[in-house]
Amino acid sequence: MRIWSTGLCAGAALLALNGMAAADIVKVGVIGVFSGGFARWGEQFKQAIEVYQKHNGDSVNGHKIEILYRDAGGPDPAKARQLAEELILREKVQFLAGFAFTPNALSVAQLITEAKVPTVIFNAATASVTRRSPYFVRVSFTLPQDTAPVAEWAPKNGIKKVVTLVSDYAPGHDAEIQFLKTFKEGGGEIAESIRVPLSTTDFAPFFERVLNQKPDAMFMFGPGGPASVSMINTWASRLKPAGIQLLTTNETQEIDLPRIGKAAIDAIGSSHYTETLDNPLNKKLRSDLVAMFGNDRIPDTATVSAYDGMHLIYQVIAKLGPKFNPDDAMKVMSEMKFDSPRGPIMIDPKTRDIVQNVYLRRVKEQGGRLVNENFHTVPMVKDPWKEANP
Amino acid sequence: MTSAIVILLDGIAYGMVLFIISVGLTVTMGLMRVVNLAHGGFAMAGGYLAAVMVVAGVPFIVAVIAATAAAGLLGALCELTIFRPLYRKGELAQVLMTFGLTFVMIAALTAMFGTDIKRLPVPDWLGGLVDLGIRPYPTYRLFLIAVGLILALALWLIIDRSLYGAKLRAAVDNPRIARAVGIDVNKLFTITFVGGCALAGFGGIVGAEMLPLEPFYALRYLVLFLVVVAVGGHGSFKGSFFAALTLGIIDTAGKYIWPEISAFIMFTLVFVLLLWRPYGLIPPKAAA
Repeated sequence: MRIWSTGLCAGAALLALNGMAAADIVKVGVIGVFSGGFARWGEQFKQAIEVYQKHNGDSVNGHKIEILYRDAGGPDPAKARQLAEELILREKVQFLAGFAFTPNALSVAQLITEAKVPTVIFNAATASVTRRSPYFVRVSFTLPQDTAPVAEWAPKNGIKKVVTLVSDYAPGHDAEIQFLKTFKEGGGEIAESIRVPLSTTDFAPFFERVLNQKPDAMFMFGPGGPASVSMINTWASRLKPAGIQLLTTNETQEIDLPRIGKAAIDAIGSSHYTETLDNPLNKKLRSDLVAMFGNDRIPDTATVSAYDGMHLIYQVIAKLGPKFNPDDAMKVMSEMKFDSPRGPIMIDPKTRDIVQNVYLRRVKEQGGRLVNENFHTVPMVKDPWKEANP
Repeated sequence: MTSAIVILLDGIAYGMVLFIISVGLTVTMGLMRVVNLAHGGFAMAGGYLAAVMVVAGVPFIVAVIAATAAAGLLGALCELTIFRPLYRKGELAQVLMTFGLTFVMIAALTAMFGTDIKRLPVPDWLGGLVDLGIRPYPTYRLFLIAVGLILALALWLIIDRSLYGAKLRAAVDNPRIARAVGIDVNKLFTITFVGGCALAGFGGIVGAEMLPLEPFYALRYLVLFLVVVAVGGHGSFKGSFFAALTLGIIDTAGKYIWPEISAFIMFTLVFVLLLWRPYGLIPPKAAA
């Protein structure tokens, strides 16, 4: 009798152990925007993740990676936090990801620190975000990172006098402050710094002010969407004929060029991702996006960030397995260095923020389409704001 | 000095766009006493339709006329189905219904076109710059000013000098007596509403450069149209003309002079104007 029960217990224990060794599901909660005026941010995230899973499968070593999408609806920190809570407590996600908007990312900082959930930021570009929690890692960019290279290049290339014009909100301030700092350090002169209300649709009067200063160039930052289209068209009709160049960061993304039209030609952009990059990963990303989602699918910064963010997550599972310690996961992610469709990238272990190439590019017409053409690459740029504010 | 002239022209052009879109709203609010919060939606619909046609290769002028007519037709449809039952139901019901209609329009356009801006390409003869002697100036803005002035003149002739206009003014001032005198106020309502929606559509088309077309257009700029109506006075075509021009010029000048607070300058002006003239620059006779 003793032998039987011992045997039964041993058998049961063995079965239980076998159960644990079977494939686990790793849940990743992606908080993006899938409705309303900013729906593109969620759409790009989702499509990039689907392409990544097509390239790399939807499991790692037999463990399925399940993506749960939640819609924050826009810049809505309360909603983002509520969604994060639901994902962590009810769905028991092991990673959070996404966050197009800085306020949404900041709202979950305390939560992820308490719950120890590694969180991969796919967009929110305000420099200080990664400092708010030791569980944040960012794969997108920061405004100062994209701004400093063009501010450094300009005074060395005939642009001595600049007027800055930014939208009056946090990322605009970030860009303006960084540009002023780096441009002046290079010996340039800032004639004026204009901040325009975020709700502006007609920029003509502001540009009139810029024209009066007679600068060599105007550095501009807008919130994307209607404002960028309007800003660049107004530049083309009012300032370009007067010989004033346009310096931007991500306003001339290829995905927006069809809407802006030929007015964008010769505008200079300073961005961490140029869509026409020639490396094999980028080519495959572009062709798969078109194959899976249609001919007018163009990748942008959101796409590559989501794509690379998935890589971080996959690497954690590959190295640590599905039942990992969150602190070990953060260590793995902070030490990663790999090739992305945007070129070589790495995560800075000190800041958990991304270090990447920044490309200076001009808008050109090529084969009937408007594209960005690189003319200068600044390799492996660290976030200058963090360097200046330790 | 050059800048002052350019800013003035910009302000007038902006004012003209506001006038063209808002004049329909002021007449329907004054005449029909119907609060039509969906007015921006008709402007948006006209703009989108024209954009689709121009991109498909239809000549610009044809597209503009067709889209304007279509906006009017859409207005007729809405009047028959949505607005008629609302006339007797009071302001709250009208506000709720038309607000809901706005959301339906936004959702429909989002489903059809996505959330990005729809470009309305203008033909080459309207694009480019014109040398004003002191400075090159965008041709399109001069076109807007010209169109606005011609439209204002045409509307003034219709309202002030035609029989229809006389009947309209009578019905706005006192619908009961107008009916008693034999004026078919209901038919007047429908014709005017259709006209107002068509005008809104036209405004949405020509104003697409200054008020970019995207699904949230209807809500985003609704405040501007309502402000023009409130400051001008319900039912007053002249009032809306002057209100639109004043607001357009002050808003544009404000942006030039003091960029950071420019958004507040216009609304401060509205606040002051309404304190001085609560019923608008040219108040409706019923209220005066």
